[in-house]
Amino acid sequence: MELLDRYLHAVKRHLPWERQDDIIAELKANLESQLEDKESELGRPLTKEEAEEWLKQIGPPIQVAARYQRQQYLIGPAVFPTYWFVLRLVLAWATVIYAIAKALDIAAHGLGAGAIIAAVAYLPWVLLINAAIVTLVFAAIEQASMRYPEKCAPFAPMGPAWSPAGLPPIEVDSENKPRSFAKALAEVIFGCLFLAWLLLIPYHPFLWLGPGAWYLKASPYELAAVWWTFYWCLVGLNAFELTWKVVDFVRGTWQGRKHARHLALHTLSLIPLGVLLTAPNRELFLLKNPVTDAAALGAQVSSANRGLHTAIMIVVAIVVLQLVWGVGKMGVDAYRKRVAAAQ
Amino acid sequence: MTLTENLFENLRLELRRGCLTLAVLAQLKQEHYGYTLRKALAARGMEMDESTLYPLLRRLEAQGLLTSEWREEDKRNKRFYKLSSEGEQIFARLLEEWNSINTAISNLL
Repeated sequence: MELLDRYLHAVKRHLPWERQDDIIAELKANLESQLEDKESELGRPLTKEEAEEWLKQIGPPIQVAARYQRQQYLIGPAVFPTYWFVLRLVLAWATVIYAIAKALDIAAHGLGAGAIIAAVAYLPWVLLINAAIVTLVFAAIEQASMRYPEKCAPFAPMGPAWSPAGLPPIEVDSENKPRSFAKALAEVIFGCLFLAWLLLIPYHPFLWLGPGAWYLKASPYELAAVWWTFYWCLVGLNAFELTWKVVDFVRGTWQGRKHARHLALHTLSLIPLGVLLTAPNRELFLLKNPVTDAAALGAQVSSANRGLHTAIMIVVAIVVLQLVWGVGKMGVDAYRKRVAAAQ
Repeated sequence: MTLTENLFENLRLELRRGCLTLAVLAQLKQEHYGYTLRKALAARGMEMDESTLYPLLRRLEAQGLLTSEWREEDKRNKRFYKLSSEGEQIFARLLEEWNSINTAISNLL
């Protein structure tokens, strides 16, 4: 029967080459016997339509051939939990390392918003490449453990190799733990003390710099005026936080979660950092007497300013990443709550 | 196919998967080639697709549970399968397991 031969030929194309002939010979014998039975029942050969219908019932050649493959999956159920755990770990770390590397690169070379957008746009490719590598490694492990189970004994206990005694302790959910009255009171008291200390710094610089205050006074260097703006931003930020804490304390709402306040303060902390970052000519340290000292110390001051500017850029990048992480975490928590409420 | 029917079909296939191996092993206490085995199983109420049964025979043979030989019958070369000695042992254990599950389910119902 020509149609059966064509069908078997189509199946053969998708079979493993080393077993093609053997499988096809067996399949042919079985299907021909089946065909003979069908034709003897009918008392006549099958029509073209009947033959087509019969072969359709057996299934598409590619699927029939696939059943003869030794393995029909890349990563099996025994290895999958470890694969999934490693994949998530690798993707998380790849994101962090890529973000830090790009932030350093952008800061070191003084690149602009275009470079940031390009870095963000390239992130999916970085993740895709990492995911592909992890998947390939685990697929190879799966293949090896399937083909050579005796030789791959170390792969076998990937999942079950654990001891209940080695389980990590339950983490205390300090974020969601209600704050005690004593803690809330202590926060207000220490907040007041810290603000007072901050306000005293302009009159007594040693409170901030210690012995360095006298060194700075005697040295040929001085702080740029932008530090005053930075200072007042810092005072404002602390006054804002303290006011919020006092209001919570007075209203008796100190026990509630403080995600919103934490996020607001985190965002506001970008202001003083931004002030330093946008200092005129990126000058954070100046010479007291530039006319006399510029030749000897000008290069040192410029170098220090450049270094500090880069350091501040890195700090800004870290704060932004923390902020994105915080917002993402809040979003996930809100989603979980919504799903739990819906159930 | 609705979601419920799809779910039922998946669970049904999952339930049948292990039973098919047991049925094939049970039937291969006598020698058969693929097509007669399929007919014998169907006659006893265990219908199986060609694309499921024939690859299953290959797998069971590769696992050492079946032995096979090519032989001519009715002017056609056919591959005949039979339970190996290891297959007989495994079958006996599987049957024990099957009976135990069957009893447990009967007790539960």
